Amino acid sequence: MKYAQDICDSTQEIFSSMIMLDVSPGEPFKRDTSKLEHSVSGIIGLAGTVKGMLAIHLPNEAALAVTTAFLGMDVEEIDEDVCDAIGELANMLGGSIKSIIDPTGSDVQLSIPSAIHGEEYAVDCLADSESVTVPFTFNGQTFMVELQINQS
Amino acid sequence: MGKTVLIVDDSNTMRKIVSRSLRQAGIDFDQILEAGDGQEALDVLAANQVDVVLSDINMPNMNGLEFLKAKSEDDAIKGIPVVMISTETGADIIDEAKSYGAIGAIKKPFTPDLINETLGPLL
Repeated sequence: MKYAQDICDSTQEIFSSMIMLDVSPGEPFKRDTSKLEHSVSGIIGLAGTVKGMLAIHLPNEAALAVTTAFLGMDVEEIDEDVCDAIGELANMLGGSIKSIIDPTGSDVQLSIPSAIHGEEYAVDCLADSESVTVPFTFNGQTFMVELQINQS
Repeated sequence: MGKTVLIVDDSNTMRKIVSRSLRQAGIDFDQILEAGDGQEALDVLAANQVDVVLSDINMPNMNGLEFLKAKSEDDAIKGIPVVMISTETGADIIDEAKSYGAIGAIKKPFTPDLINETLGPLL
């Protein structure tokens, strides 16, 4: 699936260099519109010649583990620090994918990242967009990185 | 006298990461100041003696490029070196940052070694 390998490479590089976590990619798939439960999502939008979004979705436990590793201090609840950390992950992932889609940096713009969390919520972006989601595992935890884009 | 660095990023997480990376790179600053956007950064520069600025590009209120432009128009602070630390490293954006006075760019994600390579010569 298009961009699946780029998502794998970017995610592994970011987690390895910034968080010192080795993450393993699984089989890419097209995520349906099922709600996410007890999770945190970091989201960044893309606009310009390519429109869409990149999102990282983590169950709460994984989000706490990632934030703990990211900040180097124990985090025990989904708070502002967690949302900020996950939003920053989306920011770096978005920047990495953008550099592949738009090497000069002038045709595609990134939004300010955002983060949402809750017991049950849905995330969807564009109709008629190409979509790929890559699952990852680390230390018995899982998360997903999702890209939805419309390049027409 | 020790040196002072100003870290400009709307993400509190990233400001902590940059601080940590500076320590891991063996770069010792006497004082680390922080700002959440370009306007805050200008306010910090007006009130403090800063030796180098590390700035993100994508920020609300006043982004990194707007900050550079405003800084370049202030004789009191225009000479302070600025290195961009950002996910945005497309050639056009970096050229624009350099046209406003940035002296380099570090792409996120980064390692302490990369921080050292870029900042070491400045200090």
